[in-house]
Amino acid sequence: MIGLGHYLVVGAILFVMGVLGIFLNRKNIIIILMAIELILLAVNINLVAFSAFLGDIVGQVFAMFVLTVAAGEAAIGLAILVIYFRGRGTIAVDDVNRMKG
Amino acid sequence: MPETIAVDLAEYLPILLFLGIALLLSTAFVILPMIVARFTGASKPYANKLTEYECGFPAFEDSRGQFDVRFYLVAILFIIFDLEVAFLFPWAVTVFDMGWVAWGAMMVFLAELAIGLAYAWKVGALEWE
Amino acid sequence: MTMLESLLVVLPELILTLGATDLLLVAAFSNKPDLGRRVSIYAVLMLIACGLALLGPAGNGGAVFGGLYYADAFSTFSKVLIYASAAIAILMAPRFFDRRGEMRPEYPILILLSALGMGFMVSSGDLMMLYIGLEMQSLAAYVLASFMRQDTRSAEAGLKYFVLGALASGILLYGVSLIYGFTGTTSYQGIGAAMASGLSMGELFGLVFVLAGLAFKISAVPFHMWTPDVYEGAPTPVTAFFATAPKIAAVALAIRVMFDALAPATDAWQQIVIFVALASIALGAVAAIGQSNVKRLLAYSSINNIGFALIGIAAGTQAGVAATLSYMAIYVVMTLGSFLCVLQMRDAQGRPVEDIASLAGLSKSQPALAAAFAIFMFSLAGIPPLLGFWGKFLVFDAAVAAGLFPLAVIGIALSVIGAYYYLRIIKTIYFDDAAAPYAPANSVVENGLIAVTAATVSPLGYLLVPFLALTAGNAAQALF
Repeated sequence: MIGLGHYLVVGAILFVMGVLGIFLNRKNIIIILMAIELILLAVNINLVAFSAFLGDIVGQVFAMFVLTVAAGEAAIGLAILVIYFRGRGTIAVDDVNRMKG
Repeated sequence: MPETIAVDLAEYLPILLFLGIALLLSTAFVILPMIVARFTGASKPYANKLTEYECGFPAFEDSRGQFDVRFYLVAILFIIFDLEVAFLFPWAVTVFDMGWVAWGAMMVFLAELAIGLAYAWKVGALEWE
Repeated sequence: MTMLESLLVVLPELILTLGATDLLLVAAFSNKPDLGRRVSIYAVLMLIACGLALLGPAGNGGAVFGGLYYADAFSTFSKVLIYASAAIAILMAPRFFDRRGEMRPEYPILILLSALGMGFMVSSGDLMMLYIGLEMQSLAAYVLASFMRQDTRSAEAGLKYFVLGALASGILLYGVSLIYGFTGTTSYQGIGAAMASGLSMGELFGLVFVLAGLAFKISAVPFHMWTPDVYEGAPTPVTAFFATAPKIAAVALAIRVMFDALAPATDAWQQIVIFVALASIALGAVAAIGQSNVKRLLAYSSINNIGFALIGIAAGTQAGVAATLSYMAIYVVMTLGSFLCVLQMRDAQGRPVEDIASLAGLSKSQPALAAAFAIFMFSLAGIPPLLGFWGKFLVFDAAVAAGLFPLAVIGIALSVIGAYYYLRIIKTIYFDDAAAPYAPANSVVENGLIAVTAATVSPLGYLLVPFLALTAGNAAQALF
C-alpha cells in the first residue's frame, strides 16, 4: 500500500535533486533551468498528494497555478539566456569581469 | 531549582533547522557565481573558444547538432501559450454549473492572451528572419 | 458582497491590469516618436489613479473573494509606498536610458506589472494569492534587470537574479506545500487556527522553508548573495526600483504571513528573525567597507537597512510592526534620494560613472548635489537630527519594549560600525582632492525629486512624524 509518506519522500528527493542540480552542475545554464523545473514539479507532487489524501481540491488548483507559472518562468529564463549569449559576443570581455562575486 | 535552570533544547530546533538549511544553501551560492563567471569567459582567456556557446550548446559535443537561437524564441512563445490553455480544462467541465461569471472570467483571460499574442506578433517575435 | 462591490475593492489592481495591457498594445502599434516617454507619463498617471482609488473601498473594504484578498489599513499603507516608489522609478528612467537609445515603452509597463504583483502580495489572505503575487512581481523584475539588452552586465545581472529568484520561489513554494499539507488549508486564518493547537514537525519545516524563501526576496543574510551583483549590473533606475518597491512588498508580505498565519508559532519564527536581523546588519555594515562601486555600496546598505527593519518584526508586537512600517517608509525616501543622486554621476560625455572615488570634489563643482548626497548618507547612517535616526529609534524602542534588550544593544553597536562607510563617502565628497567634474545636472524632474526627498529626510521631515505614526499605527492595528 502506497501511503502519503511515499509521495512526500519522492517529492523531497526531487526537491533535493533540483537544488543540487543548480549548484553541482558545471556544464550548462540550460541545466539550471531544468533543475528549477524539477523543484517546482517536486512541489506539485507534494501538493497533489496532500490534496488527494486530505480530500481537498485546493491542492490541485494550486498545482495548476504552479504549472502555468513554471511555464512563464521557464520562458523568461530562456529569453534572458538568449540575450545573454547574444550580448557576450559583441561586448568586450573585460566589461563582464567588472562584476565580482 | 533545577527546573528553572534547565533549558529545553527542543525550543531551539527552529533556529537549528534554519541554520542548517542556511549553511547548505549559502555555501552553494558561493559556487554559483563561479559558474556564471565561467560562462562569461572570465576564467578562460580564449574568447574564440567560448564563442562556440553562442547557441546554447557546447560545440565539442556535436553528435546532436546545434540549434539555431531562433528555435528558442519559438519555444518561449510555445511554452506560454501551450500551458496557459491548461486552465481551460477545469473550466470546461464546470462552466455550465457556474454560469456567466465563469464564462466572463475565461473570456477576460483569453482576451489577455490574445493581447499578448497581438503584441508578440507586432514586435516581430513570430517572424523567422 | 456582490461581484461589483468585490471588483471595487480590487480597483487598483484592475486599473493596473487594464492599464498595463492597454499600454502594451499602444507600445506595439503606435508610431509616435518618443513613445517611451509618452507611455511613461500614462503609467505614472495610472499609479496616481491607483493611489486615489485607495481612498475608496479599495482602502478599507475588508476581505473579498472568499478571504483571498484583504483591503485594510495595512495593505493601503504598503500600497501607497509601492506605487510612489514605482512612479519615481519610472520618472527617473528616461534620461538614463535615452543615452543608449534604450528608452523603450516596455520599461514603464514592466514596472506597472511588477507593482500589480506587489499589490497582490501585500493584500494576500491566502498562500495561493501570495505565490501568484510574488511570481508576478518577480517575473517582471527579472526582465527589468536585463532591460539593457546590449549591456552584458545587465544581462548577467538578469541571469543571476533569475536563477536565484526562481530558486527562492521554489524553496518558498516547497514550504507552502508542507504547510498546506499539514494544516489542510491555504488560507492564513485557517493556518493560524490549525497551528494554535501546537506546531507539528511538518509545519515547522514548512515555516522554515517559507521564511528562507522570503529572506531571499528581501535580501536578508544569509540569502543576500545575489544583491550586490544584481544591483551593480542592473540599470540604475531599475536598481532604485529593486531597492524600494519589492522590498516593501516582501517585508509587508512577511509581516502578514507571520502575524496572520503563523501567529501561534511566534516563538519559532522570532528566533529566526532575530538571527537574520543581526546577521544582515552586521554583514551589511562590514562588507560595505571595502566597496568602490557606489551601487554595490548601496546594495550592502539595503541589506543593512533590511536588518534594522526586521528588528521591529522580531519584537513581535503591534508597536514593532508599526515601527517596521515607519522604518520602511523612511528607508524608501532615503534610498530613492540616494539613487537619484547616483543618476547625476555622469562624466563629461554623459556616460554614467559608478566609482566612489569620482565623487571627490563634488562639494566645489556642484554644492547643492553634494549637500543632498550628504543628507542622504547621514540619514542612512542614522545620525540625528536626520529622519533616518527616527526610524532606527522606533525599531529599537519597540525591541526594548518587547523585552529584547540584548538585541537592541547589539543592533545599536553594529549601527555605529555601519556609520563608518557612509561617513567615508561624505569625506570623499567634501575633503578629497577634486576629481574630474560631472556633467551638469539639468533635469528639472530629477532635481525636483532630489530636493523633495532631501527635504523629507532633513530635520524638516519630523513635521511628518505625527502623520507617519498615525498611519503606521493604524496599519499595524489592522493585523492585531
